[in-house]
Amino acid sequence: MHVSVDKKSERKAAYIFILPAVVLLAAFLLYPALQTVRYAFTDYNIMRPDRIKFCGLNNFIELFQDKDFWIAVKNTLHFTVLVVPFQTVLALALALLISSRRKGVSIFRAAYFSPQVTSMVVVAILWTVLYNSNPSSGLLNALLVKLGMEPCGFLNDPKTAMNSIIFMSAWQGAGYQMMIFLAGLQGIPKDQYEAASIDGAGKWKSFLYVTLPGLKNVISYVIMITVIQAMKLFTQPYVMTKGGPQNATRTLVYYVYEQGFQKRNFGYACCVAAVFFVIVISLSIGMKKIIKAE
Amino acid sequence: MTQKQRKQAGNLIFYLGNTIIALIFVSPLIWMIAASLKPEAEIFKGLNTLATFVPSNASFGNYREVFERINMWKFIFNSIFYVMIIIVMDLLVNSLCGYALAKFEFKGKDALLTLVISLMVFPAEAIMLPMYREMADLGWINTWAALIVPFIAKCFSIYMFRQFFLDIPNDLLEAAKIDGCGPIKTFFTVVMPISGTVYATILILDFVAHWNDFMWPLLVVTGEEKRTIQLAIQTFFGSKPINYGPIMASLTISAIPMLLMFIFLQKYYVEGIASTGIKG
Amino acid sequence: MKRKVMAAVLAVMAVSGLCAGCGQTKERVNEAGESVITVWSPTDEPAIEEWWVEKIEQFNEEHKGSIHLQREAIVRADSYAYEDKINAAITSNDLPDILFVDGPTVSVYAANEITLPIDDFFTQDDWDDFLDSSKQQNTYDGKIYAVGATESSVALYYNADMLHEAGIRIPTSKEDAWTWSEFYDAAKKLTKDDVVGTNIIMDKGEGLPYVLEQFWISNGTDLISADGSQADGYINSPEGVEAAEFLNSLIQEGCANIDPIQKEFHNGRAATMLGGSWEVATLENDYPDLNWGVTYFPIADDGGVLTSPTGDWSASVTKNAQDLDAVKEVMNFLFSKDNVTTYAQAISKPPTRASSYDVLTEYNEYPRSLFKEQLMETGHPRPRTPSYSVLSAEFSEAMLNIFTGVDAKEALDAAAAATDKDYNKYYAE
Repeated sequence: MHVSVDKKSERKAAYIFILPAVVLLAAFLLYPALQTVRYAFTDYNIMRPDRIKFCGLNNFIELFQDKDFWIAVKNTLHFTVLVVPFQTVLALALALLISSRRKGVSIFRAAYFSPQVTSMVVVAILWTVLYNSNPSSGLLNALLVKLGMEPCGFLNDPKTAMNSIIFMSAWQGAGYQMMIFLAGLQGIPKDQYEAASIDGAGKWKSFLYVTLPGLKNVISYVIMITVIQAMKLFTQPYVMTKGGPQNATRTLVYYVYEQGFQKRNFGYACCVAAVFFVIVISLSIGMKKIIKAE
Repeated sequence: MTQKQRKQAGNLIFYLGNTIIALIFVSPLIWMIAASLKPEAEIFKGLNTLATFVPSNASFGNYREVFERINMWKFIFNSIFYVMIIIVMDLLVNSLCGYALAKFEFKGKDALLTLVISLMVFPAEAIMLPMYREMADLGWINTWAALIVPFIAKCFSIYMFRQFFLDIPNDLLEAAKIDGCGPIKTFFTVVMPISGTVYATILILDFVAHWNDFMWPLLVVTGEEKRTIQLAIQTFFGSKPINYGPIMASLTISAIPMLLMFIFLQKYYVEGIASTGIKG
Repeated sequence: MKRKVMAAVLAVMAVSGLCAGCGQTKERVNEAGESVITVWSPTDEPAIEEWWVEKIEQFNEEHKGSIHLQREAIVRADSYAYEDKINAAITSNDLPDILFVDGPTVSVYAANEITLPIDDFFTQDDWDDFLDSSKQQNTYDGKIYAVGATESSVALYYNADMLHEAGIRIPTSKEDAWTWSEFYDAAKKLTKDDVVGTNIIMDKGEGLPYVLEQFWISNGTDLISADGSQADGYINSPEGVEAAEFLNSLIQEGCANIDPIQKEFHNGRAATMLGGSWEVATLENDYPDLNWGVTYFPIADDGGVLTSPTGDWSASVTKNAQDLDAVKEVMNFLFSKDNVTTYAQAISKPPTRASSYDVLTEYNEYPRSLFKEQLMETGHPRPRTPSYSVLSAEFSEAMLNIFTGVDAKEALDAAAAATDKDYNKYYAE
């Protein structure tokens, strides 16, 4: 498959190509990440940077007995498992909807992307109105009551809080993946569709046999970054629920922030981050294996 | 149904369907703009009615207040300045790296790819403080460098470039090589010109992400000299009672460059490499 | 490759280690030989921003050749953002000389020796002029660590039309403030199809301990012991559980929203509201059509303690300050009788100096007089404990849990345990 001329000059070129990125990554991502791992073994309290003591595996021992941590693990997985297929399919559907060459598609495109440029302040205000558990204030509950159903707690019911966040996040985030899909769709040559339609393939068939295979690399990228973004869920719980009610939306990264900055147990927060790191890396190595196996 | 009727019906469904879905997505933005034109007392009136999307007693008073209270132009300029530098460097540095990962064979390729993926997952919330300490050690606090340099290399970009460059047919690169192009020349004269869509995509996604940066600029920048637009907006949340009029106005102002950028880059989504048919 | 990566990492670490020595140090003396004193305070509304410009100019004029005062306005957003900024500055020893902090965090910084005692910064006459509520909030371990110019209070706002229509009694003195039972009955009676009986602050953040702690105090307990060392037996005492259950009954009966929509009271969607003193100006300016009034903070049944929240931002002196004489000079200037008065006037908040009320006569008239009365006679500051950040977060979380169905005792026990754990880990002798 690969260009098979002069391996040596290719290798030289490769090192020149990767050098700037590697240096910068090492200095500003890898180094602070390793520092974080180092602090995981200390009792670092943010208020006392000059009194950091090494405390061995204490943080890790505490962590494994920490109920809130395990709930955060469970919540993070819950969110990821549901939001990834939902958001990916939504994004792909949106991208397909507006990949046509009709007049005015760029307006729809901008509309689907617009939650990305809308501030969380505004989003929070409006979704609070939408989700309000009181039917006299909440739009969705007013609708439910009109349909003769019981009002739902949404963000204020531990059973539905995470799913409410999932729905909102997918709505807000789909525009991001949509753009990547759109870019991918541009890469599928027109003549493949023409060939398919000559062979008598309908819309669905040409989607299955032309679009999907053509998007293979893009889909694997999108799924991967959606998983990673999902694992790092922070903003929505931070703004909407503060991790509650009853721990229902406390995610791992929210827990890192809460412990590290709000409660100032920075050493402990780094420990959570380090364990999180290990979890996600094993997941992504597993995923890479699966992708390679295909 | 005739061909023409069918086409019309298809158009009707297309526009109707898209309009309904679009309204669901764009309504917060519309609400924000409507709110920015309302007097303070009207903003939260009748929030659960449709009337909330219509600016009653519309005026630009909130906008006037924003520009009177703070040096908004300067903060907009600051943000554009540092975000643009990040993006230009990001597009260059990361596309080079992504290209090497996609098309070259070299020792350590797998290790680098694993590293790129691993670092993607490290939560910013956990790295922020060590990174801040690093900035302080380098003497970069309150400098542009602290806002820019750490964010040039980006694993997300590297990986996305790689995935897209994988689809570039090798015949094309071979051809360039036969024409006597070295790897660097090939990259700049063959690969880059046909990859407009990827660059445009990363540009817009990155622009939005950095334009909305709040936490990091807050930590590394003090005072007005290098204040970014997001920090400036937060100044309206300063003291109680919070007035939402100027907040909505400044949020609207902040959304404009992102939307402009988006519209400006549209052409890369209409004329991608699809029409050139270079795919093998 | 692994080895190479490690080598690269080590190289980077070594380089940044070298640079550690060459970091910029804060400018402490300028070219004119003046001692430079830096103040960090939150960005504020225009009147206050102008106040700073004017006062700094005046100070620098008066101290030409000796002291140069400068202020950096820090974006506050919610108070957590400001605290994150301070946290970062602590790690790099980049704190300013004078740092404004929110009332209850004074103890946190004091206990960690980030700020210094300032008892000898002011004369006894001056200290006597400052309100007790403010001094109490700013005292830790017997020493004063901060001084503020303004205060705040919370009282019960009501929609006069709705109360009259329902024939509900409006208290006229603090002794006959509504009891909890009266508060509950009124809220219940006032709750209609699209109007909730009351709005208790539910920002899921600092607003909760600020306002709701009073229910604990009024019922004869508090969130934590007076010395700030133990939450168990206070926050989760029988009286505390009773307070939580009372608040929960308002939510469960539909008399108050867990997630209140914005400006519920202002738009006639809530009949009453436990609101801050700052709401007076908003209601006067932006909602002239609303017929509203304000009355005293409700008290527990059967002789509950009269109480109301207090506390505002105040200035402390950090461990990174070098020229303490100059800092003292600045503090005396910023918090002089005149400047406290003009500052409070600019921001329309109650001042911290008793003498300022002689000038600001609007506080002799209703509704502002009510806040002044509460401040001087019933104000209780928030807990003074080095574990305040944990206590505050845990309390908010516990209340939200109770409101969504967790047993009150169980939720408060958890909050007590987490707070005590933090105290014992870092501060217990």
